[in-house]
Amino acid sequence: MLSEDRVLEEPVELYLYSRDSSLMHGEATCVVFPHTTEEVTEVVRVAERHGVPIVARGAGTGLAAGAVPIDGGIVLSTTSMNQVDIDVANRTAWVGAGVINLDLSKEAEPYGLCFAPDPSSQSACTIGGNVANNSGGAHCLAEGATTSHVLGLEVVLAGGEVLVLGGQAPDMPGLDLKGLIVGSEGTLGVVTRALVRLLPIESDVRTLLLDFDRLSGATKTVSDTIAAGLVPAALEIMDQKMTTAVENWLGAGLPTDAAAILLAEVVGEEEAVEAEAALITRIGKENGARQVQVAKDEAERAILWKGRKSAFGAVAQVSPNYYLHDTVVPRSRLVETMEEIEEIAARYELDVYNVFHAGDGNLHPLMAFDASEPGMMERVHRAGEEMVAACLRRGGALSGEHGIGLEKRDMMRADFTELDLDAQARLKEAFDPEGIFNPAKVLPEGSRCFDFGGVRREIPDGAWL
Amino acid sequence: MTGAAGGGPEHLAPTDVDTLGESLRQASAERRIVQVVGGGTRQGYGSPLPPDVVLHMSGFSGIEEWDPDDLTVTVGAGTPVAELESLLAGRSQTAVLPEVPGESTVGGVIASGVSSLRRARLLGTRERMLEVRLVTGDGRVIRGGGRVVKNVSGYDLPRLVVGAFGSLGVIYSVCLKLWPMPPAAATVIIEDLDAAGRVTRPLAFVDDDGVLKVFLWGTPEEVAASSARLGGVISEGHRWPADPQGRYRWSLRVPPALTGDAVKRLPDGWRHLAVHGAGDIRASSEDAGAAPGLRDWAEGVGGALVMVTGPSPGGDGFDPWGRPPPGLDIQRRLIAQFDPARVINPGRLPGGI
Repeated sequence: MLSEDRVLEEPVELYLYSRDSSLMHGEATCVVFPHTTEEVTEVVRVAERHGVPIVARGAGTGLAAGAVPIDGGIVLSTTSMNQVDIDVANRTAWVGAGVINLDLSKEAEPYGLCFAPDPSSQSACTIGGNVANNSGGAHCLAEGATTSHVLGLEVVLAGGEVLVLGGQAPDMPGLDLKGLIVGSEGTLGVVTRALVRLLPIESDVRTLLLDFDRLSGATKTVSDTIAAGLVPAALEIMDQKMTTAVENWLGAGLPTDAAAILLAEVVGEEEAVEAEAALITRIGKENGARQVQVAKDEAERAILWKGRKSAFGAVAQVSPNYYLHDTVVPRSRLVETMEEIEEIAARYELDVYNVFHAGDGNLHPLMAFDASEPGMMERVHRAGEEMVAACLRRGGALSGEHGIGLEKRDMMRADFTELDLDAQARLKEAFDPEGIFNPAKVLPEGSRCFDFGGVRREIPDGAWL
Repeated sequence: MTGAAGGGPEHLAPTDVDTLGESLRQASAERRIVQVVGGGTRQGYGSPLPPDVVLHMSGFSGIEEWDPDDLTVTVGAGTPVAELESLLAGRSQTAVLPEVPGESTVGGVIASGVSSLRRARLLGTRERMLEVRLVTGDGRVIRGGGRVVKNVSGYDLPRLVVGAFGSLGVIYSVCLKLWPMPPAAATVIIEDLDAAGRVTRPLAFVDDDGVLKVFLWGTPEEVAASSARLGGVISEGHRWPADPQGRYRWSLRVPPALTGDAVKRLPDGWRHLAVHGAGDIRASSEDAGAAPGLRDWAEGVGGALVMVTGPSPGGDGFDPWGRPPPGLDIQRRLIAQFDPARVINPGRLPGGI
């Protein structure tokens, strides 16, 4: 059914597909590259016939081990499904799951349109991966994460059933199955295409960089800006350690003596962005901003954003390994949470760097370390769990945009009751009673009285032909 | 609280979750059909079965948690939308729920899935949902989501309950994402559709029975500049139009670019409030004679014509929902996991679910 060049079975190839961008790895039985929805249907039927799981995978940029084939099985790469079909009048596009996020915006640009979700990995990550994780990005403060931009989905469900859900018209009658599948990390079925909303590219943009002696000055500027009725396109904060790492790598002219820098961006018509940039400048100064730089042109803007989006790469320059957490706290509790995160890192003798989506209260504490040091991974994991717990204690969430995957599934019990998790497991069961799709992700084991343990890991030779 | 002996359904108005759970457990055990009522403004949808129990949610009213700095509010499902929005407006915030809600409650708006007129800019009711607490048909008390503006912890139950008409459980509390209201607001009445294109993304652009109204907000500078560019009759502030009322009420849903076309196709005598950029047209009529033709067109372009309310429940031979949506089997399986005896609002959903 799939020609041999679209099935990988060599050990080295399988090794590469046994991991994603997390620190975890599993074991792929084989990797397949379907081109069409029909081929995905065939793969699902083969998997069911032989009782092997399917792990759908885009670019493997996920950080929560959502694409790791922990129980073996078929890794289904969506990268060959990369059609884009734009409807300019309705500002929508049908997009193959394997289309790279940034490529979609590039294709839409000639029509004056763009795809708003912009994860830091946007030059590599795929739309299918964005749908699976309900990915966010710096610009989802004003425009929402992926789910706000998905109008329809084509999905292959258990039994090989293909459904086209949602559409260009709003509020299609019946339960919103599409909205449930977004963010489900490939555990309910395989998404083959998505109908996404495109937004008009704004006519003007102002990007501001404000630097502060105290972190609280930056967070207060964020709160006061929003309280003044303004929701900027982005509000990002970097702490001093992170700013220094970025500056040492890129030399973008960032103020390394500041306790925190705030990157703010406003978009819209010219008169609007002028007034909004002036408002943020005034609020920043009232909260102790030492300097306010406004990018004069697209080149300066690009440098400021490169600093932000390269933050994790910058840490990779100073340390052999890093581990990044993704948690959320109510915005009013940002400063105290950051202080506790510092305290936890100090207690475990770890370096922690911070860069985060301040408008959403979405933290990304990043621990840098050398994994070859004995006992290090244990320390990193324990510190990470304490940081997540510190957020949950303040009414926060386990994850803002990276997902639960394998990484945080056991922490789900810290946030939800047994009945809550049972309800989640029932949703999964309604879609995937045999547990074929991306097993062991999202929910801790034992969430429901059914088990995936009996699923086989091997598929017989020749099943692809 | 019991209804009149011998006739009519029993009326219950629980004020705490335990009592709500017990009521539903008992209804499931005895297979008694439960109708859930908030403000009672949206009871016309679908083909409901006659209830044995009417569950009034007014006991779950009021703000549970609201820190304006967090842009979230947690509120009882029985809270009237008007009361919530007026409280939020005091701190220049909005939950972006329907602007002219009448007696509607937060839970009723969510369960029936209706949205704000600002939806082309700020999106619909699904986008407001951060956390939901509900009691399932068999009396389990569960929560999904979380009280922060962004979270991806598990399956998106908060979004799934929107438009589900209680089929997954009776919603008793929700956390909503708020939006700050900028200092300036204006309404501009324009003469022709094309003029609206002079502003890229207005807060709302509606056709109120032939009167084209553009709603603007932002900094005073932005509102002044946009108003001038539109070049119509400018008034300060927003006076939102209500959905048209009549013997029949309709919801016509089409791809956004066809909103103007849909308005032109409305039969003579139908009144309308159309949300441009969203494909959401609310209409009313005194008879339903022309509805089948309009539905054929709407379904042909990938949309729907839904009867919101009519003189007799269940549409009197005209299916209130029209063409069944895809995935009815999976919808039934999902609902069976939450309301196994199918006692909450049966018949409200498409496909007779």
